[in-house]
Amino acid sequence: MFLSKFQNIKIKDFIRTLNPLWFMLPALFLMGLWTYWPLIKTVFYSFMEWNMLPSSTPEMVGFENYLRLFDHPDFGKALVNTLWYIIGMLPFAVIIPLILAIVTENMNTKAKNIYRTLFFLPMIMPPVTVAIIWRWLFHPSVGVINQALMGLGLIDQGINFLGSEPTALFSILLIAGWKMIGFSTLMFSAALTGVDKSYYEAADLDRTSKLRQTLTITLPLISPMVIYMIMLSILFTAQWTFVYINVLTLGGPASATTNVYYLMYVYGIKNFNAGMGSAAAILFFVLFGIIAIMINQINKRFAFYDN
Amino acid sequence: MISSIKQIPKHALLILLCAFAIFPLYWMVISSLKPLGEIFTPSMFPSAPTLENYTYAVNNVPIFRLTLNTLIIASVQTVAQLVSAVMAAYALTRWEFKGRGLIFTIFSLTWLVPMQAIMIPNYITITSLGLRNTMLGVILPFTASTFAILSLYSALKSFPKALIEAAVMDKLSEFSILTRIVLPNIKPAMVSLGILLFIHGWNEYLWAMLVNTRIDQAPIQIGLQQFLSLERNEWGALMAAATLSSIPIIALYLALQKMIINSFVKWGIK
Repeated sequence: MFLSKFQNIKIKDFIRTLNPLWFMLPALFLMGLWTYWPLIKTVFYSFMEWNMLPSSTPEMVGFENYLRLFDHPDFGKALVNTLWYIIGMLPFAVIIPLILAIVTENMNTKAKNIYRTLFFLPMIMPPVTVAIIWRWLFHPSVGVINQALMGLGLIDQGINFLGSEPTALFSILLIAGWKMIGFSTLMFSAALTGVDKSYYEAADLDRTSKLRQTLTITLPLISPMVIYMIMLSILFTAQWTFVYINVLTLGGPASATTNVYYLMYVYGIKNFNAGMGSAAAILFFVLFGIIAIMINQINKRFAFYDN
Repeated sequence: MISSIKQIPKHALLILLCAFAIFPLYWMVISSLKPLGEIFTPSMFPSAPTLENYTYAVNNVPIFRLTLNTLIIASVQTVAQLVSAVMAAYALTRWEFKGRGLIFTIFSLTWLVPMQAIMIPNYITITSLGLRNTMLGVILPFTASTFAILSLYSALKSFPKALIEAAVMDKLSEFSILTRIVLPNIKPAMVSLGILLFIHGWNEYLWAMLVNTRIDQAPIQIGLQQFLSLERNEWGALMAAATLSSIPIIALYLALQKMIINSFVKWGIK
């Protein structure tokens, strides 16, 4: 009975029902091969001890790598620094751009476009090029920033921005923020263009002050974008700063600029410790994943959508 | 009159931001043109502009080779990502099928997987394929992009169903429908997304640094970093190399700035 039923289906129809599969096959195959399969292998390696040499074989150690992470002196430092990076990114990715976008909203298009073209430029710059430029700007004795500060009489002797403890993390953050600020302003401007102008006309009739209008009309209406930019900062700041850390400070001085993504790289690639590197990677993949889901829920529940 | 006075603080604010955005790039170019005797002074213009830094940089870093490598890597990646994405996005919007939601989730979730979480296995794979220090080794892990799939999904969702149904009546194969009916109509979206993917490809760093450091195969970011580690204090030459490395991408930006800005606004970033 089964066979006859099977024969009734024309082969052509059968192939057609698989149409979606054929079209998705390249993307599914490539993502399976280069993202999901390696992710599974990373989970596997996180329970192994292995120095990545072809001559050695991975050895099962259970949760040892995860436990060792918490004992590692740099781990806590990387965690705290990551938090500082995220908090420090918020002014560049959210607060300043939000103010700029609101203030410039009613400017004429021509002026707006010129400003946009210019302040967006950092976003497209290659990161190593950016690192080299800022290394020169931050030069401890002859860098233009130090020369300007000395010229203004604010300091007597050059600050070693990237080489001393309190300033290094801030300097890395400033570089990443410099890249981000134009992009964020643009995203908020785009969100503002979508706001229905009749709300403001009604508010003007009620003689509501401009500040109050911003707080009670503008902000709620663009809250989805605000939450989206906050989410981007939380999830990706530690990844965005990676290249500057690797080119400029190597995590130093004394782990002052390291973060969780840089730590994964140090464990896995520099120290040939596949187990520790993988354990850190899985730990933070799960952690950031949970954060992303939580923000998504917050967005669904609290963000205000104008229908 | 009153309204233009009111505008002054706004413009001042924006000019300040522009200065913050542009000054580092200005300083890069100016420093690269300064002769050795002037490089350590904070002069805003070089008194006697010279190209000696550029000669030094070009003689010590194969800038043109590196730029060509980057161009090849970024272009091949972009084309592969666009092709795999448009096919997947077409399938997801064309048919209602079992497991569609699941597959959508599978695609979306990769957005959360950072390179650092998969670099060790991929590094081992590329090494065992003998592809270390080749452009292909840099390209392969970036041949499919979630970002591209989701972007094209939203572009195709609003594609008029009537056009596709008319093509089905004409007995066109699904592949022909995609290439002859759909693609010509979403060309603007494909181009603007392609530009973004190209910029991402051009600026990719971590993966290239891991698998490809041989100067005749490496992208320019890697060559630049090697030059930095060799010539830590040749500031003029470093600035010249930095300038040369960013000229192609800045030229692309200035030529298509409106389009590039709009595509960033439309698609966001990875």
